[in-house]
Formats: sequence, structure tokens, C-alpha cells
Amino acid sequence: MATGLRLVTERVGDGAGEPILDAQNGEELVHVQPSVSIALGNRPLESPGTLYISSKQVVWLSDVDRTKGYAVDFLSVSLHAVSRDPEAYPSPCIYTQIETGVEDDESESSDSENNETLDLSKITEMRLVPSDPDQLDTLFEIFCDCAELNPEPVDEEDGEHNWVFSADNLVTESGDGEESEWISQNSVPTIGHSNGDHDLANTVLQVLLWALRFYEQTFSPTR
Amino acid sequence: MAPPLFVGDVTLPLQFLDRKQSRTQSHAMLFFSYFKDLVGREVTVELKNDLAIRGTLISVDQYLNIKLENTRAVDQDNFPHMLSVRNCFIRGSVVRYVQLPPEGVDVDLLHDATRREARGG
Repeated sequence: MATGLRLVTERVGDGAGEPILDAQNGEELVHVQPSVSIALGNRPLESPGTLYISSKQVVWLSDVDRTKGYAVDFLSVSLHAVSRDPEAYPSPCIYTQIETGVEDDESESSDSENNETLDLSKITEMRLVPSDPDQLDTLFEIFCDCAELNPEPVDEEDGEHNWVFSADNLVTESGDGEESEWISQNSVPTIGHSNGDHDLANTVLQVLLWALRFYEQTFSPTR
Repeated sequence: MAPPLFVGDVTLPLQFLDRKQSRTQSHAMLFFSYFKDLVGREVTVELKNDLAIRGTLISVDQYLNIKLENTRAVDQDNFPHMLSVRNCFIRGSVVRYVQLPPEGVDVDLLHDATRREARGG
């Protein structure tokens, strides 16, 4: 799930180098934007650096320090936006919110600037400031495209419901020899699954019914 | 469940989408087609971190990722930096509620969708 920001200390290639991508799992470099500064949380801008956008993550690498860089998966980018109002932030930037997986009350205390060591896992905001503000709209659209490439992972094994259901089933169907064991093993996931779906359908139904009721109460022509 | 009421707007809770994306696919599709009809209207999207953003709905995709334009934070005191983002992309999985304009709620469509869900289970 959401992992938040990571430190990137390794890279490949000569000179400033490039981020190491997981090409075996289909990760591709989508866009490189040179001359981008980065601000994490309320911390000051860091520069100069280069922004690499891959099909899986956003990586910022310092141009001068090969051991310094940050990365965040698109799975953890909950929101991104173009910010141009100088009152909101002095430099036009791509503003992002990052899902950390850390409990809310723990994250980003205001005195974190005093800490020598920066806890990246608690950073909930990241700003990317390209030296050329005309690139903001392009970057925004690339972020959108890549976000859509990274939907929530499908978790086949989730659902306590399935587990409880299948355990019940195993108990009732055991004792009839090999055949029933075969049946229970094969049929349980299907039954469990449809059961989960049914619950969910009910939830949706309730939601829709409630919306309908609320609508009718509020906007009924008879008042 | 006692959903919060928002005067003048209809709020659809979307929380259940975060857990079982695989099974919600068909239900997500239902909301997807529903939200597509709301493109161009003003909606308020409340995130799970309590940030509520109001703006014009530009697009929504099958994962219920939402693009807004001319956005502003509803609670500007607590989220001053969100004052002025012009366009904004919100990941579907972090959305808690979407508040819809009353005139954007098609009661017949909701009726139909509800019946279909009840029948199809």
C-alpha cells in the first residue's frame, strides 16, 4: 500500500546518473525534466536536481550529490495540482500530497524542522519547482497519465469474510472422504467471493437508497 | 450508518471503495458512469485526510480518479496552501465523499441503478 517518500542513494550511469528502474516488471521512463527544485513538507527548496517520471514512480535526483535523491510511488501520490498563486507558494510548482501509511496524528509535526534527521516516511507534501514554469501543465498531464497507470493493486487474498466462510464450509463438508474435500477446496473461494460481492451490493444499495431518500426529503415538490 | 448531511448538496460516501477494489469494479463502474454525467458541474470532493476541495468536475475515470478545475479548499483556514491551485487531480482511492449539486442528481437514474443492483446482486 502507500509507502510515502523514500530516500534514493543509488543510481546508474555516468555523470549525475539516472534512477534504477524495475524494467523487469515493466517500469519505463516516461519523462525527464532537468532543472527542477524540490521542497519536502515545510522544508526549504533543494536544488539543482532532475526530475524523472517513470510509469511507476516520481524520482528527483540531485545534480551534484550522487547519493541524494527522493522517490515516491504514484500509488502514494493522493493528489497533484498546479500551484501558481504566489500567496500559496512563492514559486509556481507542482503541488503533491503524499499518503504515508503513518497514522495522521504522528505525521509531520511542525517542529520537524529542528530535527537533524529528516523522517521521509512522515512527509505528506512535496512541491516540484521547474525552472521553466511553462512546463507545469505538461508535467501535470504526465502525472495524470501515470496516476491512471497505477490503480490500487488488486488484492486477491483480502477479506476476512472469505476466510470465515470457507472455514465454516470446510467443517460442514469434511468427513465425506476425498471427493467432498476436493469440492470444498474448489468451491469455497467462489462461494466466499460471491458472498463478499453480495455484502457490497447491499452497501451500494443502501447508499443509493439513502441518497434517494435524502433527495426526496430535501427537494420534494410538496415540501 | 448515519451519513453526515450537507445542506443543499447530496453526498455520496465512497469509503467502501478503498478496501476491495477488485470486487467493487462493477459498482465503481456504476458510479463512474454516474459521475461522467456531472462533468462541468461544481462538486466538492472530501478526502480521507479531511481536506475538502470544491471545483468544477473536468473528468473522472474508471478508478474514480477525479480532475477538478478552478479549485479551492472549503476550509481555507486549515489548508491555506490549497487556496489557489487551478487544476487538481485526486486519486480515487483517497476520496471519502463527493458532494453533488442538487440539480445534478437524476432521481430516475438513481432509481434504475438501485433496482439493477438489487436484482443483479
